[in-house]
Amino acid sequence: MALAEICGLQDFDNRKFGNNLFDDIGQYSGNFSHHINLAAPPFGNPADLHKFNKDEAGRKLKINFDHGTTTLGFRYEGGVILAVDSRATGGAFIGSQTMKKIVEINDFLLGTLAGGAADCVYWDRVLSKQCRMYELRNRERISVAAASKLMANMVYNYKGMGLSMGMMLAGWDKRGPQLYYVDSEGSRIPGKVFSVGSGSVYAFGVLDSGYRWDLKDEEAQELGRRSIFHATHRDAYSGGIVRVYHITPNGWVHIDNNDCTDMYYKYQEEKKAEEGK
Amino acid sequence: MSILSYNGSAMVAMKGDNCVSIATDKRFGIQGQTISIEFPKVFQMGPHLYVGLPGLATDTQTVVEKLNFRKNLYELKENRRISPKVFASMVSNLLYEKRFGPFFVEPVIAGLDPITAEPYVCNMDLIGCINEPEDFVVGGTASAQLFGMCEALWEPKLKPDDLFETTSQALINAFDRDAMSGWGATVYIIEKDKITVKDLKTRMD
Amino acid sequence: MAAVLIADYPEPGFSFENCKRNASFVANGFVPPKATKTGTTIVGITYKDGVILGADTRATEDTTVSDKNCQKIHYLASNIYCCGAGTAADTEMTTQMISSQLELHRLNTNRVVRVATANQMLKQYLFRYQGYIGAALVLGGVDSTGPNLYCIYPHGSSDKVPYTTMGSGSLAAMAVFESYWRPNMNEDEGKKLVRDAIAAGIFNDLGSGSNVDLCIIKKGTAEYLRTYDEANKKGVRQASYRYPKGTTPILTTKTSNIDVHDVSITYVEPMDMS
Repeated sequence: MALAEICGLQDFDNRKFGNNLFDDIGQYSGNFSHHINLAAPPFGNPADLHKFNKDEAGRKLKINFDHGTTTLGFRYEGGVILAVDSRATGGAFIGSQTMKKIVEINDFLLGTLAGGAADCVYWDRVLSKQCRMYELRNRERISVAAASKLMANMVYNYKGMGLSMGMMLAGWDKRGPQLYYVDSEGSRIPGKVFSVGSGSVYAFGVLDSGYRWDLKDEEAQELGRRSIFHATHRDAYSGGIVRVYHITPNGWVHIDNNDCTDMYYKYQEEKKAEEGK
Repeated sequence: MSILSYNGSAMVAMKGDNCVSIATDKRFGIQGQTISIEFPKVFQMGPHLYVGLPGLATDTQTVVEKLNFRKNLYELKENRRISPKVFASMVSNLLYEKRFGPFFVEPVIAGLDPITAEPYVCNMDLIGCINEPEDFVVGGTASAQLFGMCEALWEPKLKPDDLFETTSQALINAFDRDAMSGWGATVYIIEKDKITVKDLKTRMD
Repeated sequence: MAAVLIADYPEPGFSFENCKRNASFVANGFVPPKATKTGTTIVGITYKDGVILGADTRATEDTTVSDKNCQKIHYLASNIYCCGAGTAADTEMTTQMISSQLELHRLNTNRVVRVATANQMLKQYLFRYQGYIGAALVLGGVDSTGPNLYCIYPHGSSDKVPYTTMGSGSLAAMAVFESYWRPNMNEDEGKKLVRDAIAAGIFNDLGSGSNVDLCIIKKGTAEYLRTYDEANKKGVRQASYRYPKGTTPILTTKTSNIDVHDVSITYVEPMDMS
């Protein structure tokens, strides 16, 4: 015993050897259990990450992750309308024409995706869990304001490290219909009319000219549909199908999905009939 | 982004049985913004001769003017129709002249020889390296997708009707996976006694 | 400068009128597109009676195979051929131009042109452009001095050698030559050796592929063996993907008939060149 004490072995913790493995597992699969902690590089300032996006010859490493979208949402007398396209592009390549860009967080809360598809899907999933946890703890649904703040705070921790997302959160809570815009820069803005994504400029053109607070439900749904449709026509990075959701006092309702091709030729026919009159 | 994909385009030409086809999309855009959906990129250079100029739209228009000029001079001097092969050499020479400051077009040529009616297709890179295969040629931003479609769909000795379906389906399915091209398509079927031009119903997003 | 209404007749030589504009594209962050490369294995050997040139037949644009069966052995004169590697348009145009110069030279001197002449013309031309014309060549032929083989680099240097390889597959091909080349081989041995060298390039270099072309030049004859060996046979497609007629929706159809009024064919007698 004395020798062991002289050698300082009493401080030697054998268990550390055994724990290394668990530490490693914890570290490398951390976001299974700790999903708001993403693995950061094991050096310096993680905000300098962009400096490492170069290969040994100094050329920029090109990562064409899925991008490009048109999404919109607006509040009116009858609730909130959300409408989105369904195209996912990596560079000029169309990866999918059937992507779901509206995430059903719970029966009264919807989120839209724009920007990096992986970022949006991941953080929406985390948000879904957070909202459910809130519900279980507090025995009432989370307000849209609180949910959007959770989201904004989570992504704010990674500001400047390359997250790319611009999302809308819409729902109906105690205070009525709610619509928030949240992005990866940390903004969180409540508002009446939003459109996000590469096709948003075209969508706004239609949306702003047709928007009124006292729209009828059908009018509002058609306004959202048309706005997205015209955006898909002009914007190369938007397209596929137009999905329309309506948030009512009783929760969200999925109105319909329409293929852009069908809509184009339908509107074309209507225009021709109009001219014929 | 590459200069060749600034405006977006998709083009294909195929050989058939005593006929050739050439097909193009109709989009003119500035990067993601679609400006026009009736932009001509395939031009008639003779009764049986067509040239497509996918690439940078400003150069498409400049090059077609220059080609018309040279082709007209040739036909006046020689007092005969230009053959597709000679025309291809002419395009190649025009492009190689600008070897160190190229036009950003990758021409596609399709036609029948004015005397023998032999089918001919070729394409070239932006500095005029001619490629004359015995099946099909492709060009534009959807060229990778077109290569895949054509390798699967093309077969020898297609009659004009079948050639039309094969060419159209190759083009449509290729540009439906490319954001920069599409918005309508035109297919030319060139036979000895007639030219058939068809506008296709395509996706418009 | 011609009048506004009359377009300029194109001047000979390279035109640099787009250079400034294109430089501004690049300055604004637009990537200039890549030209077709041969991405090649080309080789040449001397043997007992002459020279044998060999080449693969793949042309690439970046990682895409843009031509599966292109010709890389170019005609220079009836007794001289030249393999080209590098930028495809450059090898094509350079050999075409030198070929016409050699023909004029032959008509002027009334002699069979020498390989050394072709070599000198090529290297002087390439040196003038300081390597910007990306043509790496294997030049071979037979003249009054016997069989000659040169390899010419894009910057304008050249070597006179008994056997040589060029292009991205040159290392694979040279490994074959260094192992098996001997002086004074007979024609069958030579053909097999060149085929094996090209095959080594086709199978081991990703930039080379498809078939083997050969060209055998002996005193008085040149034999161009296009597709001497199909190293990669394409699989036969089992099913037909032909679409039924009427599959494609059509918006408009316009047919224009071409009336052929009369056909007159005039045969021209070739000029007496002897």
